[in-house]
Amino acid sequence: MKALYNYLKEVAFAFVSLANGLLLTLKYFVTPWKSIITENYPDNRDHPSVADEFAGEVILIHDENNEHKCTACTLCQMACPNNSIQIISKQVETEDGKKKKVLDQWVYHLEMCTFCKQCIDACPQDAIKMINSYELSCFDRSTLTKVLNRPGSKLKEKAKVTPKVQE
Amino acid sequence: MISMIQFSDVTTWIHQLLSSCMAPWLVFLIELVVAAVAAVVALLVCVIIMVYMERKVAGHMQLRHGPNRVGWHGLCQLFADIIKLLLKESFTPTRADKLLFTVAPVLSLCVSLLALAPISWGPGLVLWNTNIGVLFVTAISSMGVIGILMAGWSSNNKYALLGAMRSGAQIVSYELSAGLSIVTIVALAGTLNTGGIIESQANGWWVLKGHLPAIFAFIIYIIASTAECNRAPFDLAEAESELTAGYHTEYSGMQFGIFYLNEYINMGVVAMIASTLFLGGWQPFYLPFDFPLAHAFNDIMALKFMETWPAWISWVSLAWPLVWFFGKLFLIIFFMMWFRWTFPRLRIDQLLKLEWKYLLPLSIVNLVIVALFIVLGLHF
Amino acid sequence: MSASTIIFYILATLVVVFGALTVFSRKIFRAAISLLLSLTFIAGIYFLWNVDFIGALQIIIYVGGIVVLIIFSIFLTHHSGQSLPKAKTGKKLLSGIMAVAGLGFTTWVVSQYVFKPAPGVVPVEPSVHNIGIQMLSYSDYGYVFPFEVINILLLAALVGAIVIAIKKSQDTEE
Ligand code: SF4
Ligand code: SF4
Repeated sequence: MKALYNYLKEVAFAFVSLANGLLLTLKYFVTPWKSIITENYPDNRDHPSVADEFAGEVILIHDENNEHKCTACTLCQMACPNNSIQIISKQVETEDGKKKKVLDQWVYHLEMCTFCKQCIDACPQDAIKMINSYELSCFDRSTLTKVLNRPGSKLKEKAKVTPKVQE
Repeated sequence: MISMIQFSDVTTWIHQLLSSCMAPWLVFLIELVVAAVAAVVALLVCVIIMVYMERKVAGHMQLRHGPNRVGWHGLCQLFADIIKLLLKESFTPTRADKLLFTVAPVLSLCVSLLALAPISWGPGLVLWNTNIGVLFVTAISSMGVIGILMAGWSSNNKYALLGAMRSGAQIVSYELSAGLSIVTIVALAGTLNTGGIIESQANGWWVLKGHLPAIFAFIIYIIASTAECNRAPFDLAEAESELTAGYHTEYSGMQFGIFYLNEYINMGVVAMIASTLFLGGWQPFYLPFDFPLAHAFNDIMALKFMETWPAWISWVSLAWPLVWFFGKLFLIIFFMMWFRWTFPRLRIDQLLKLEWKYLLPLSIVNLVIVALFIVLGLHF
Repeated sequence: MSASTIIFYILATLVVVFGALTVFSRKIFRAAISLLLSLTFIAGIYFLWNVDFIGALQIIIYVGGIVVLIIFSIFLTHHSGQSLPKAKTGKKLLSGIMAVAGLGFTTWVVSQYVFKPAPGVVPVEPSVHNIGIQMLSYSDYGYVFPFEVINILLLAALVGAIVIAIKKSQDTEE
């Protein structure tokens, strides 16, 4: 008797859960104006709506003084599974005569990028991010290799932290 | 409906017209061809609507637009696809069994079209008025698997072979519960003739008459027939994630197109049978209550008010049963599409478990209950 | 010749041709398909004779059931795209003689039998209703006894199949 009861209970529960699914899709079906999330793409080029989280391409963040935060530590280069990042650095001499490594070129091979965001996670300075650009295709693949640091940009100076006086 | 025009009047009239100027055998031949072509064309028009409907239903249920480029709201998408299929090469693999490979799609198409013969489209509008109507459709649908098995074997491809075997196991097992649920209604109606079954529902469709077994049989039949059509969630024969395209992996061009067409024809036939058995075929909606409002409603539904109209207007009433027939057809087809785009695919062991542990025992119990009802004279 | 005679001869020829192909084809799947077509055309002859019920059962049982089972066993035991080996001449000769002898015997038996019309027997219309009543009738010439015997036979076969196929549970094995 117990087995029969369990059997029938199982059947009834199955129907309830199937009905739940059916109701959800029916709701989507009868209210397409609310539920459709795809875009009529080439028609709405003037006013596209792309989610902010959409991973389009990597950029190096520059502020209004044309300064970025990249210290050329190459962590992103090592994190990238596809070798699509090349950090080219150079040695410069600071005013107090010390040699210092600074970023020369942040080379980004868009054609090899799989938009996995691992470089973003690896960067300790939060210097790079992904923007939601699209229409990335082009006729000449050499244009896909980009240098991300703008000409003349330089490393943003850290706000001087006053060393704490030990008591 | 005394003064109103019936389909039988129309057919008799055509018959007399032809007989007056031709030999009897020629008349017979012409009528045969015209009737068959009319039925096939009607079904093909349904298929065109179904394909468009499937794409739109799929789109909207998956939060997409569906086709919307070719023509207004993508209405001409299907024609573009057909032209594409016609222009493509129908390629036969070298190691395939060429004869069977070519015959398989044609055979399965013929078999599914055969099932149209005993279907009653309207009062007196039936190709083959036989006393085994529904049994014939069951027999033909058990033949439907042959085309799939042929395609699977002759392709000489492991995916095709696996897909064919799966679909064979599936169709052979689900035929049982489909057959038992058909028998439930046959027992209630007391006939196998499709027209007879429909006429037995003049005072209410079987699902609406309040017979619980009829409702269970309807649910079981819808599930089993979805499986027999190899449609998702039972589309193991062409499970694209594991078997590429199953039994029609090697087919291209219009040969593939025929298999595609075949799927929709099968759906149409199954929906016709379901509406005949459970939803009253071409019978309009009927309220089985005994108060004036219900009577008035039923009179309107039966087009009683047209009886006083002149004969040339009451021609319009010929379309009324067809409207109901095709309306129910598309209702059931919508159900099947709804299932397809809601449920994930079953695994093969789950599929067989569902049939042998759930559907079959339940439909046997259902049938026994119906038999008891009938023996005790409780049905109406 | 009336149209139905012509149709009968067409169907009969097809039955014989596909029957022969079943035997002579060296591709096993083609043999199975020929068998299927042969059985289907036999169903066609039944439909021609207006015994629709028998025709439909012929399709359900032979085409939908038995041939599908045969095809399944072919799927499990043979490779696609392979031909069967040629039979030896002795074997060919022997089976040819057997077949001709069988045909001769059957023809002889049929030709010896005098088909006489049965007087006083009212022919029953072969509708499903009448078949059903006859099947379960226990008066004279009723079929309830063979019907029940076949039921028991099939039940025994079913139980036997389950007994063979059932997996022994862990504790009965130990
Ligand atoms: S998103 Fe991934 S693939 Fe692209 S550059 Fe960053 S780490 Fe490399
Ligand atoms: S972008 Fe970030 S991780 Fe990459 S080199 Fe610059 S600071 Fe390092």
